[in-house]
Amino acid sequence: MNGRIIAFCCEHSAYPAADLAGKLGLHYPETLRIIRVPCAGRVDVIHMLRALEKGASAVLVLGCEDGACHHITGNIRARERVKHCDMLLREIGIDGRPVVMFNLSPNAPHKFVKAANEITKIIKESREAR
Amino acid sequence: MEAKIGVFLCNCGGGMKNIDFDAAGAKVAKIRGVACVDLISDLCLEEGREKMAAGIRAENLDRVVVAACSPEFKEHVLGQVLENAGLDGHLLCMANIREQCSWAHEGDVTEKAVELMNMAVNKARLLQPVEKQDIAVDREVLVVGGGFSAVASALQFSRVGLRSTLLEKEVVLGTATRELEGLHGFDICSMIDAVEGDTNIEILTSGRMTTAKGTIGDFTVTITKEGEEISRKYGAIVLATGYRTELALGSGLELRADEEAISRAKIVSQEQLFGMLNDPFIDTKPKTIGFVFGFSDENSRFPTLATLNNALAAKKEWDSEIYVFCKDVEVDSEGVEKLYREARECGVVFLKCEVLPRIAVDNGRIAIEAEDVFLGEDTIVACDLLVAEELLFPTEGTAALSSLLNILLDSRGFYQDENVHLYPVASEKKGVFLVGGCRGDLDTGRVLTDISSAVMSIDKLLLSGTITVEIERVKADPQKCVACLTCIRVCPHGAIQLGRVDGGKEIAVIVDLACDACGICAAVCPAKAIDFQGYRDDQLLAQIEAIEES
Repeated sequence: MNGRIIAFCCEHSAYPAADLAGKLGLHYPETLRIIRVPCAGRVDVIHMLRALEKGASAVLVLGCEDGACHHITGNIRARERVKHCDMLLREIGIDGRPVVMFNLSPNAPHKFVKAANEITKIIKESREAR
Repeated sequence: MEAKIGVFLCNCGGGMKNIDFDAAGAKVAKIRGVACVDLISDLCLEEGREKMAAGIRAENLDRVVVAACSPEFKEHVLGQVLENAGLDGHLLCMANIREQCSWAHEGDVTEKAVELMNMAVNKARLLQPVEKQDIAVDREVLVVGGGFSAVASALQFSRVGLRSTLLEKEVVLGTATRELEGLHGFDICSMIDAVEGDTNIEILTSGRMTTAKGTIGDFTVTITKEGEEISRKYGAIVLATGYRTELALGSGLELRADEEAISRAKIVSQEQLFGMLNDPFIDTKPKTIGFVFGFSDENSRFPTLATLNNALAAKKEWDSEIYVFCKDVEVDSEGVEKLYREARECGVVFLKCEVLPRIAVDNGRIAIEAEDVFLGEDTIVACDLLVAEELLFPTEGTAALSSLLNILLDSRGFYQDENVHLYPVASEKKGVFLVGGCRGDLDTGRVLTDISSAVMSIDKLLLSGTITVEIERVKADPQKCVACLTCIRVCPHGAIQLGRVDGGKEIAVIVDLACDACGICAAVCPAKAIDFQGYRDDQLLAQIEAIEES
């Protein structure tokens, strides 16, 4: 799975935002693989860890904006879980591959592309640092 | 037994030029479990979908993968195709090769498309059917409130043939709105008469909701009326609890003690002015009236309407000079442009300002000072009466009702809409709807649109007497569940209860009617006892593993 970025996208915000990015012809790295979830709160630590275990270079969790989650608390839970996952990785001393949460609204394709580009940049920088 | 998976590719009528469909099809055909690969160029059309259904029947497929546009557009339509071909709609998995592959990247993306299809096939292998069932619902509706929006809702429900109960905390209906007849262009008195004569509408005054349990189609509400407790069942709840206003004078208004009482009487709200205009025994008619509105809220439709109505009436009754200080006159509601023109023609002066005008007391008169952006200079008007800007607040009971029904409030304390743009009349709890001032929107025309929208939604839900729901799409495994209550606490829709299996062990039971399929419970369950068909752990992990394979 060399260099793949796994993005868990909430079907109420990030997934339509990704669709819109495609429709508008906004390009983002081809390495991004989107997995559709009904809410960012559905993403469990095991999903993020498995992606890293299988060789993903980063994991993104994309949910609704703060205070605008379709399922009210899903994005807050997702953020905490991403934090927890990051902490687990640090504790066991696994290399610093990023697990990051972003919030965006369904009409924000630019923000989606920005998130994808940002994570790609982080990966590139950490690779060069090593 | 290994599932027989059929893959249907759609090239969007040639809209995906950077994917080589023949090569992709050949690669996908080699994936384990794929029984057939079919290229159909027009899945959007009836003919294309018929071809797909014929393919499913001919190959006797168990699972279907469609690689085409985003599932956001066509998933439900294609699910129907599966149902027509004798398969469950949930046995479909889509690979989004248009928006998230072909259109998102430049250059040849056949490889990525194949990978996306591989992910979909891997997930499809694990899909399971979900049973559907019709559940009987209560056909009565509870409308909370007794003002314009509540009364208008009840009348509309009666018109579509649904029985409703009006629950009002005051002794009579329309206490807050009765005095305002004409001010906002509605006719509340005759509406209340119509409600009182309608057999489909029951009126419960001096009543309060004390408990509310259950979910859409099956709410059990206890109402306390004059010390008596009444328990009722409703299919849906409409909140129309309205708003209240407070005068906003801006900072810097200092009144001398000896002048205060007199000056205060000269600063009034739209409602008070309306009262004065309808009072035949008023002693002194104000010669000059100043109106200030539109500085606290971007949406000034409601104050615009009130100001225009009042200004015209004051011109007619008292022949006063009228100055209106405002940021924007919003005339996009029905009939308001005409009112605005009428007001200008009979001599009402409109001054456009960017900041809230300064207000001072000068010789017993109220001086309004502001910079008119068109004149570019300070204008001072001395008035006998100031109709001040009003701030909107939710009514007192709003917070209590929101915690009773477990729905959210927005930053201003009004009820939060589910989606401000797409579905503004629904709350995030299924079966609870919001209309009128209680969601912070006050324009009469829009309130009527709200009401029609809520009534239509509820009519669609309840008229047949049953709702079709997916049974056990999200389910706790009785073997694994230890009744730790974690899911019950986290469920944002209050859809999980504690129940017993076959009279024995206590487990979490997900109420299918109330479940909104978010999967939060499945993620938090410490025992991993909750399975969410379509987004099960193994189904999500299968997609990740598919990426590794390729």
